[in-house]
Amino acid sequence: MEKKINIRKLTSTMQMPTHMEINGNQEVIVDGCSGVLEYDTDVVRIKTGKLIVRFAGRGLVIKCLTADSLVVTGYLTGIEFCV
Amino acid sequence: MISLHLTRWLLGYARFSVVGGSHERFLNNCARSGIYLWDITGGKDGGACVAVQSYRALRPCARRANAKLKVRERHGFPFATKGIRKRRGILAGAVLFMVIVQLLSLHVWSIEVAGNSSIPTEQIEAELVRLGVTPGTLKSKVQPQMLQQKLMLEFPQIGWLSVNTRGCSAQVQLQEKVDRPLIVGSQGETVCNIKAARTGQIVSMNVFTGTAQVSKGDAVVEGQLLISCVVEDKLGYMSLRHAAGKIIAETSRSLTTEVDLKRAEVNPTGKTLTRRCLYLFGARVPLTFAGKPEGEYRAEGVHTDLKLMNAVLPLGFYEEKWTEEKSRQITLTKDQAIAEAKRLMEQKKKEELKDAKILSVSEDTQFTDSRLIYAIKVKCEENIAQESEILIK
Repeated sequence: MEKKINIRKLTSTMQMPTHMEINGNQEVIVDGCSGVLEYDTDVVRIKTGKLIVRFAGRGLVIKCLTADSLVVTGYLTGIEFCV
Repeated sequence: MISLHLTRWLLGYARFSVVGGSHERFLNNCARSGIYLWDITGGKDGGACVAVQSYRALRPCARRANAKLKVRERHGFPFATKGIRKRRGILAGAVLFMVIVQLLSLHVWSIEVAGNSSIPTEQIEAELVRLGVTPGTLKSKVQPQMLQQKLMLEFPQIGWLSVNTRGCSAQVQLQEKVDRPLIVGSQGETVCNIKAARTGQIVSMNVFTGTAQVSKGDAVVEGQLLISCVVEDKLGYMSLRHAAGKIIAETSRSLTTEVDLKRAEVNPTGKTLTRRCLYLFGARVPLTFAGKPEGEYRAEGVHTDLKLMNAVLPLGFYEEKWTEEKSRQITLTKDQAIAEAKRLMEQKKKEELKDAKILSVSEDTQFTDSRLIYAIKVKCEENIAQESEILIK
């Protein structure tokens, strides 16, 4: 039987605050997100543990949002990590 | 993805806008409360989609973010059926429909036979009816194994047969046997002589295999050995072969036809009656209320099954055409009788002397009280070689 992987547990043991998956410049899947700080069609700023990640782009949409993850789609032009 | 959209549509969802307050705070409140949002748009009139049952839970989140919610669009099954939900008749109808569909799906409504070429479909269907498989039979009562065995026993020319129930249709797929050809060879060859099929005088001989027992010009009687299967080689050893050859002989044949001078001729009067009926789920629903006509009528019927995407539906039409006929006694003249007899004789000649070369024909016509006897004597040349198998173990 395949063992279920808990992303949060895994990232915490590996000292990784978050798990981020970027598909081209069209989609970003973020696991371990703790909140949305800023949301507009051009900028999405999220809090991930000790980091703040800023996605810049055009026509940005949060495709879905749960307590610890979100999916951002649109035309991404930049990603910025603020400590 | 389709299943996700379908689930959302079935459960119902609403698209709302967040007016005033902090959009981001509202989103974070929703996420922490475990409310699932999707298609979240940003900007001044930003909003999102939420499942109908979660909409009420959004209000405290909005209040904490000093925002107000405004429903923009409603989608899904609960909203689509809002107008008709109070109409109990429609609801009862829908339930009844589901029940009827469920009940009807438990029965076999059409029987399809495929793969038969020499066995008529009607015969197989009649046998299936005898075995209890008719339109309307419960699917649970159809026993494919038993049907396969009984059908195979009833039709020995079937090589392979399978009965399957697919949906509401019983499908009979079969393959007919292919007769094993005679193996003629050095190992497992059949041994046979060539005998005379008719009495006559041999005109020409062409022996392919075997030893000729007669020669050109000999007179032979029916059943006489013409070519023997026993072959002797140069060293004097004997071996048995499949004898073959072409023996053309001059034979004499007598053919007779009889024609009645008085006969009943049936003519249609032009009066017709058409009766139609509908076959619905095995039941016969008459569409014409006329009964069977009395008198002399000839009936012809056509049954048409409706098909949808190659599947036979439990719906069919049957049309019967009744044509009135009147019979009268007629007496043929001698010329008419001879012409009729000659026509019949030509057919007989085509059947019996199809491979023969006719040399001469002599006719004989004889009239009795009520019939004409027309006989011919034919001299012809034909192949009289006939294989006669010898069973050797």
